[in-house]
Amino acid sequence: MNASGMKLSLGAYTALFLVFLYGPLVVLAILSFQTGPEGGPQFPIIEWSTYWYKHLFGLTPPSRIAPLPIEQALVRSLGLAVMTMIVSTVLGVTAAQAFRRKFRGSGVVFYLIVLGMMVPGVLVGLGMALVAKTLGIDRHWWSTAFVLHVVYTFPFAFLVMLAIFNRFDPSMEEASWSLGVTPARTFRKVTFPLIFPGVLSAMLFAFTLSYDEFSRTLFASGRDLTLPLAIYGTFSVEVHPNVFAFGVLTTLFSFALLGTYAALMMLSVRRAKRIAIQEEA
Amino acid sequence: MSMMAVAEQTETETVAEKKSPGKALWLLAPGVIWMSLFLVLPMLMMVYVSFWTQTTFTIEPTLTLKSWVTFFTSDTYLGALWTTVRIWLIVLVATVLVGYPAALFVGLFVKNKALQTVLLVLCVIPFWTSFLIRVLAWRPMLGKEGAINMILMNLGITDAPIEVLLFSELSVIIGMTQIYCVFMVGPIAFMLGRIDTSIIEAAQDLGAGFWRIFRTIILPLSMPGVVVGAIFVSVMVLGEFATSAALSGRKVNLLGNIIVTQVGSLKWAFAAVAGVVLTILMGAVVAALLRVVDLRKEL
Repeated sequence: MNASGMKLSLGAYTALFLVFLYGPLVVLAILSFQTGPEGGPQFPIIEWSTYWYKHLFGLTPPSRIAPLPIEQALVRSLGLAVMTMIVSTVLGVTAAQAFRRKFRGSGVVFYLIVLGMMVPGVLVGLGMALVAKTLGIDRHWWSTAFVLHVVYTFPFAFLVMLAIFNRFDPSMEEASWSLGVTPARTFRKVTFPLIFPGVLSAMLFAFTLSYDEFSRTLFASGRDLTLPLAIYGTFSVEVHPNVFAFGVLTTLFSFALLGTYAALMMLSVRRAKRIAIQEEA
Repeated sequence: MSMMAVAEQTETETVAEKKSPGKALWLLAPGVIWMSLFLVLPMLMMVYVSFWTQTTFTIEPTLTLKSWVTFFTSDTYLGALWTTVRIWLIVLVATVLVGYPAALFVGLFVKNKALQTVLLVLCVIPFWTSFLIRVLAWRPMLGKEGAINMILMNLGITDAPIEVLLFSELSVIIGMTQIYCVFMVGPIAFMLGRIDTSIIEAAQDLGAGFWRIFRTIILPLSMPGVVVGAIFVSVMVLGEFATSAALSGRKVNLLGNIIVTQVGSLKWAFAAVAGVVLTILMGAVVAALLRVVDLRKEL
């Protein structure tokens, strides 16, 4: 067997693999342009239209297909994601900062934190629902579901920050301290700008994971729906192309988020370069 | 995958900080308290409640083994346990089989770093679509009037639509394989990328064929990647219930689905029993996988 033949066939396989990954999403995107309200979620496309996108925003005359309850859900999901992002990033930065020094029991603490991303949502969600039930606490998206979201995203933020601090040159901070700058000011002026790219990545992780999180929310959020719960609600009933249109829109939203992240990242890199050039001059 | 390595490095890399040791405690306390209250406590509560008494609509803190006896004498629950194990094994094997060749290509055969990155990013992009949407996307693919049946019939391969494609165990397996195989591709490609190509060249110079090189060099060196991928996939598949709810038409009931329905009908104690069983199963699987390869040594 020669190597180039092997390479060719593996390359062809990888192309097929990508078709496998993307196929369903492409089909879903195509079908979201099905005509409505009579067009169903299957081929052939009777007529191309943006009916289901209008349906999503309540711009179509009422039909037998109920609109997705996304308006309120979107606000809740975004709010929850922002809360989760802030808290888990702060927790991640502080915990990783503590890990820069050697301390007794660091192994146990490390696994305790990482456990949060390993334990499935069904289990921790069920546990939280049981705790809330026993203590007589009402379950809401902003209370019980929120704390579980942080349990899930905090480990990601922590690991990202750990990796950042690992490559971090402590002599920068030491120089600042030896010049008599207070630790708080050193953190703001020296440490934070250096770890900013990591903080940004941790925030992106936390936001997107929380925005899409569903099994934890299902058990712990009570009556009010978040976006993933609204989609989950359609599982048991007949699916209409409005769900597909919604899928296309959320994907575009994610890409916008990723674009913002890339732009901020580029800005911070450029700023760092400018400072470096100034120092050299 | 280098988490443990990272942790150990930070442990050894003691920075000559001038802060008092008490500072670390204050930095650590919020995170540790959060995890103890909202992760450890709920899990312990689940174990505790599994021994409570279940009445028609509620639970009472009188300790009993009744829910456990019910679980292990009921065909439904034992069936769900068996289905969970079966689907997990099939999906695990399927993700390795589907993912390994792609990882082999990306990690070892693509020499161009830029192309390698592009291919890996292409694998990750679908994750930017909501998980539930990706699951749901299989319905118009696999359905009776779905894309696959349409293509097969137009090509004249089949005369009638294949109905077993959707709302069956097969559709759950296909869906899960597609959603989780990337978690296999990533770690394997990472390990393959670290192989020193001069070893392979040396083997080639000595006249070894591709399969011999694959069996004696590539496969053993990529095993840690397979194990890490297997841990990711196992933890996620064992905790699944959404894919089976969306694609099996209630025919496939995993332990996760049992928990959801039991909570829905306020059978908290039964749900807790199923939860504890699932936790034990998952712990056993992860422990077994970690025994296959000593990750601390390999990474």
